[in-house]
Amino acid sequence: MGRSPSDLIVFVLKRLLQLIPVLFGVIVLTFFFTHLDLTDICNAWYPHAGIATIRHCETTINQPIAQQFLTYFTNLLHGNWGASVLGDPVYPKIATALPATVELVLAALFLMVVIGIPLGVVAAQSGGRWADHLVRVFYLSGWATPTYLGAVLAAVFLGPALGLPTGGEYSTNPPPFTQWTHMSVLDAILAGNLAYTADAFAHLVLPATVLAFINMGIATRMTRASMLEVLPLDYVRSARMKGLTEFWVLYKHALRNALITTTTVLGITAGGLLSGTVVIEEVFAWPGIGQYAYASIGGGGSQLNFDGAIAVVIVFATAVVVANLIADILYGVLDPRVDWR
Amino acid sequence: MTEPVLDVQGLTITYTVGAGVFQAVSDVSMQIYPGRVVGIVGETGCGKSTLGKAIPRLLPEPPATIGSGTVVFRGTDLVRLTKRQLPMVRGTGIGMIFQEPLNSLNPAFRVYDQMAEAIRIRHYRDMGYVKSFRGGSMPFDYSVRSTPPVTNPVTKSIVPGGAAAEAVEDKLRTRAEFREEVLRYLRLVRINDPEAILGLYPHELSGGMRQRIMIAMALSERPSLLIADEPTSALDVTIQAQVLTLMKELIDEVKAAILFISHDLGVIAETADEVGVMYAGRIVEYGPVADVFLNPRHPYTKALLRAAPSRYKSDGPLSSIPGTVPNLSRPPSGCRFHPRCPLARDACKASSPPLAIVGAESKVEIVASHRSACFFPEEVPNLP
Repeated sequence: MGRSPSDLIVFVLKRLLQLIPVLFGVIVLTFFFTHLDLTDICNAWYPHAGIATIRHCETTINQPIAQQFLTYFTNLLHGNWGASVLGDPVYPKIATALPATVELVLAALFLMVVIGIPLGVVAAQSGGRWADHLVRVFYLSGWATPTYLGAVLAAVFLGPALGLPTGGEYSTNPPPFTQWTHMSVLDAILAGNLAYTADAFAHLVLPATVLAFINMGIATRMTRASMLEVLPLDYVRSARMKGLTEFWVLYKHALRNALITTTTVLGITAGGLLSGTVVIEEVFAWPGIGQYAYASIGGGGSQLNFDGAIAVVIVFATAVVVANLIADILYGVLDPRVDWR
Repeated sequence: MTEPVLDVQGLTITYTVGAGVFQAVSDVSMQIYPGRVVGIVGETGCGKSTLGKAIPRLLPEPPATIGSGTVVFRGTDLVRLTKRQLPMVRGTGIGMIFQEPLNSLNPAFRVYDQMAEAIRIRHYRDMGYVKSFRGGSMPFDYSVRSTPPVTNPVTKSIVPGGAAAEAVEDKLRTRAEFREEVLRYLRLVRINDPEAILGLYPHELSGGMRQRIMIAMALSERPSLLIADEPTSALDVTIQAQVLTLMKELIDEVKAAILFISHDLGVIAETADEVGVMYAGRIVEYGPVADVFLNPRHPYTKALLRAAPSRYKSDGPLSSIPGTVPNLSRPPSGCRFHPRCPLARDACKASSPPLAIVGAESKVEIVASHRSACFFPEEVPNLP
């Protein structure tokens, strides 16, 4: 039948193999984009550096570009992600920034699922009446809000009004315990520190809510559309005829099938969110990969960090592919008619 | 005095589509008594399916509107129930088998889960977890209904005709008992190896198998009224015969009142005790099957019987009724059949004939008298 656990393993392995050419392409493209388009590359890279650095740069730059790429790529394969100009190695930064972003995105996804999906069901159920319009106003106002505006408004007005912190992961930085995972709430829980768990949670609320509010439309709209597709079907009528109350008809029989589409779209969105949190992380001083990406391309007056920029793009590409893979697996889990291929 | 399970009086249903208003069912009245099978027969679009779905209030409202009339199901007027109260009469009350077996099971759940859900609903109601209608205090008595099947304790097979013997006590305490109850109903619909299909999804089963499961699911709630809306029409001819045989056997076994809707005169003749012939939203003739089919007293019934292709004669072209089915947004005045009727006169155009008794009145309460909505029923036997 093609639905045994071994089929699933083969499916996942195949998809992970597909990741290799994708990543290679991404590395090649970003490397050449960052190395080919500047004429006075050493001055552009190191505007404030001393003459020794410039000299070192020029000896590197004078090598053929293919040789430079080979050097970078060999280093990467050996686990050396390079370093910034000032000597900060890239890998440790990525290793701490990525979990922070993953935490933020998961929190936003959670809100999108528990608020956005029921809103979609409500909208579909009241199709065309006031509740439907109200829901549409809600998710469209999120969808139409520019990220920077939503983030800044929340940080300036909403945060102080609700007494929520608007910057960083904790009130004191670094927190007085080891950060095992670099996910703020999880670390505080692992340390068994209740006060810091509450503190980390409070810090997470605002950025996650803004991220969720802006992207809520995807979950709500997809759920509404697929619910409207499912509701007139015969099996929904059979469920009603069994004597189930409308709640169970909607949230068990209809939503279970409508979720198949919503999950796929949410998976793709999750990949996009991981690479789309740059503005929100910058506004809320969230030490995630978006902030690191911004700094790497010289944002906020920081030094250009080309190794960092390439590394960030690699991580973003991987995130998109892995999020899609998870969406595909969930699709198969939700729809028993799908074979693992 | 026997109470009818279902008493429909003057039911009128309209559809509002765009600017048009279609009267799909007009002034339909009928009674179904316990243990009786009433067939509804008619052409496509005559309103028979609308009638079947309107009884458990399954029609989407809007576009459908129940204009007037009452649908009294064991003392409760279903037309007056609010949306919140409706689930209480469905399932363990009125069960329904649909026309589309391929899509009537939820594709995302296993057969066992869907069967168990139906049995759980019935079980909760038996146990009194759900006592009254929500938002009101009309208690609903679930004790009056079809009898459960009796299984041979050794072979686990269904004892034919044993259903009426005695009701099996309802105890579903453990998971195993629950599973056994599911299996019991799957065996009731003659599925030979029910254990094998419990874990399957609907798409892994054939159409005939899915329809059997739908029937088992409806029966497992032990309804006091079962509505079968063309249960065999969407199936292959060979499977049709099997499911029909099954339905006929089950009718004897479960003792529920049954409303059997079909366009197939042969199916109705084989299954039903009484038959209502529908034309353009009205019942034009009603009565015991033998009376209506052997001695039709309405020109439409006569024409319909003549148009049914015979299995034994193959000489000559198939006969058909001249003219077309009327547009229900602008039905003909008076008798709706008059533009196509060989007996039509001025009186037929002026007013609509009532459904009046023809021949002898029935002496037995639960047997309907033969009625015809024609001004000239005595002339019908002379028609070709």
